[in-house]
Amino acid sequence: MDRSPIFEAVGVQKAFPGVLALKGVNISLLPGSIHALLGENGAGKSTLIKIITGVHQPTAGQLRLDGQAATFGSPRDAIARGIGVVHQERNLFPRFSVAENIHLERLAMSYLRPVDYAALNRAARPWLEALDLDIDPATPVSELSVARMQLVEIAKALSLQSRVLLLDEPTASLTSSETDRLFTILRRLRDDGTSLVFVSHKLEEVQEICDRVTVLRDGANACESRSMEGVDRKQLVQMMIGRSEGAGAWRHRDRRDQPEVLDLAGVDTALGHRDVSLTVRKGEIVGLYGLVGAGRTELAKAIMGQFAVTGGEVRVNGAPVKIRSVAEAIHRHRMGYISEDRKSEGLILQHSVLANAGVPIWRRLAQAMGSLTDGRVRKVASPFLTKLEVKTPSLAQSVGNLSGGNQQKISVAKWLAANVGFLIVDEPSVGIDIKTKAYLHDLLRELADNGTAILLISSEMPEMIALADRIMVMDEYRIRGEVTNSGVYAEISHRIMDRIHDAPQPAA
Amino acid sequence: MTNLARLSRTDWFGPLLATILAVLLIQSLSANFLSAYNIQILLLAIAVNALVAYSQMIIIAIGQMNLSVGAIGGLAAISFAGAMEVWGLPAPLALTFALLIGLGCGALNGVLIRITGISAFVITLATLSIFKGINLGITEAQPFYGIPEGVKRFGGAVLVGPVPWLLVPTLLVTAILWFTLRRLPVGRFILAVGSNDHAAGLSGISVGRTVIIAHAISGLLAAIAGVLVVARLQIGQPSIGDDWLILSFAAPVIGGAILAGGHVSTTATFLGVVIVAIITQALVLFSIDPFLVQVVLGVLILAAVGLNKLRAGAATGGR
Repeated sequence: MDRSPIFEAVGVQKAFPGVLALKGVNISLLPGSIHALLGENGAGKSTLIKIITGVHQPTAGQLRLDGQAATFGSPRDAIARGIGVVHQERNLFPRFSVAENIHLERLAMSYLRPVDYAALNRAARPWLEALDLDIDPATPVSELSVARMQLVEIAKALSLQSRVLLLDEPTASLTSSETDRLFTILRRLRDDGTSLVFVSHKLEEVQEICDRVTVLRDGANACESRSMEGVDRKQLVQMMIGRSEGAGAWRHRDRRDQPEVLDLAGVDTALGHRDVSLTVRKGEIVGLYGLVGAGRTELAKAIMGQFAVTGGEVRVNGAPVKIRSVAEAIHRHRMGYISEDRKSEGLILQHSVLANAGVPIWRRLAQAMGSLTDGRVRKVASPFLTKLEVKTPSLAQSVGNLSGGNQQKISVAKWLAANVGFLIVDEPSVGIDIKTKAYLHDLLRELADNGTAILLISSEMPEMIALADRIMVMDEYRIRGEVTNSGVYAEISHRIMDRIHDAPQPAA
Repeated sequence: MTNLARLSRTDWFGPLLATILAVLLIQSLSANFLSAYNIQILLLAIAVNALVAYSQMIIIAIGQMNLSVGAIGGLAAISFAGAMEVWGLPAPLALTFALLIGLGCGALNGVLIRITGISAFVITLATLSIFKGINLGITEAQPFYGIPEGVKRFGGAVLVGPVPWLLVPTLLVTAILWFTLRRLPVGRFILAVGSNDHAAGLSGISVGRTVIIAHAISGLLAAIAGVLVVARLQIGQPSIGDDWLILSFAAPVIGGAILAGGHVSTTATFLGVVIVAIITQALVLFSIDPFLVQVVLGVLILAAVGLNKLRAGAATGGR
């Protein structure tokens, strides 16, 4: 078929301070096609989306529109050139009517010409009809369901003559019947010649609706704009997860004779986990593997007492416990959690290195009347900061000014200082460079050798295989099986994929 | 949805109901309440306070706050009086001068917020002090007494029955503001920016310009209020505006404004002003300590914010 691409990205690179997020990525979008953009967290997917939509400018490489080189200086620029995007978060004005939301762009031409709402409603109707949206254009958006809000955003993008439409996880908050309706509409848009980009973690949906696919891994193409024909779920997963690398550092350790530090038996949670059983022994690193959305971080937060455990039993050091709050987990049970989202959950960016490293131990160090001196915190925390080689001009430096790797070291240091017996490490190497990552891996191994029980959550298969003693595979908020790590990449990745793949599939 | 449920979702219904109930209750306790004299005093208070409330409301609409409302009003008031007494300007010219001062002060707030990226709270706290300082520097804390007869007459005149002339500019401003926020793109931009400035920018709205315009309007409204107070008091008091701040927040909030921005109602804010005026008046009527007015205002703000929160929860979570 002779179709020339509407939009192409050629050899696009994007460097952020300390990290090369994209290392020369290609993608080409054809008219009348639905193109899947896949990749695990940190693979560079969101950076690529931001470049296509004009939020970031590429460090090197070229964007082409209809074969002509194009630069988007701002999101507005990209919109004006026909690149529409429907973000995961809603960009609507809830108190405004549907019609006004769709056509706000047009009003923005003048400041003082009175708005003719009747005309606005008339102009909005065709776009709503095109999407089978049976709503009065005068309805305030706040009265619509999430699914309909999303369709309104699509209508808005279409009314701006978008020829390329990016949908970032459009089904994340939709029910299955809403998803079906959305797909019907997307197919129709495709048949009308729009080029759609579908970003999703749900591979079944990708297989159902997409005709072409680009997979990113570690900031590079794992596959580039190929046809979906003949590609099955297993191949997609394999491309996302990738091949062996850096698993060499793994060494065999047997901790089966050690006491159990954390033991979950048939645990259900308020977030939807069912019958989760896993144990972590003293000095053991247990990996919790799964694709994004499998419920791993959610399980970690439930263990830490942020969300309720509704069934089954949690035992810490052999004794059944009910952990009602994060404070209780930290102070009474000596548990720690290194968040994947260190910027918003792990660290207080405006505060000093010392203050951050000291937060969990403040209570322990507090003297009479709860007073606390910097000197006492420094005495406990600074050996760990030195040991981790945190590069900071002084302990008074605010954490926000340090690199991602150093920030991550501080979030590890603060739990070391707290002397925890059980540590959950969630996606520890997101956003840090390879050298720091290797160092971090050594550190986690050393921690375990010294007796800390570690639950490692990672979407990176090589990281899993380099660190874990045993790997629990999670999918759809359930444990799908256990794999004992042998350090052999091909074998383990194969077995893990089988666990995910064997999961009961929704009837096709 | 029944009609009553629909009504209860509008911003003005609750305050209107409260107003009517308050009037009935107070009238039943004190027959003097609805005397012509009392009504006139009420309307005079409403005339000025509504402008003060609008001045804050337009800033609440963009999701910010303006602590310098009173300082701008005070500076405009003494500029108005001073221009007439010291420079001997005729009243219309002095009025224009004062309004330009207000507009300029407001625009300055907006520009500073936009250029520095510092929060409106801090910027207007600083300009509050600056404007007030200029005011005291010019007046040396002494009032201007040389107000022309024409202005004094306007301040005391009644239009019909107990309705004072002073209420006329306020009602005009109310209508214009209502139309602006409902029908003019600039009003919609202000609400859009307050609701989600990122999305507003993506829709082609100049967020910076909108913020500056909103602050300029706020300054202008505060200046009009200042001028009206001069006409009513018949002197240019340097202390004009000192006690506006709490009221400026109370009325919009009672009128259902969302402090995070994106939603305000002109009519409901006006009713908020009416409620505050009625309660203040009632406390005077029953010879209750006037300092209690402050306490009541505070309680009203808390109650209104709580109520708004409940309503917001019902609107989004109740589906």
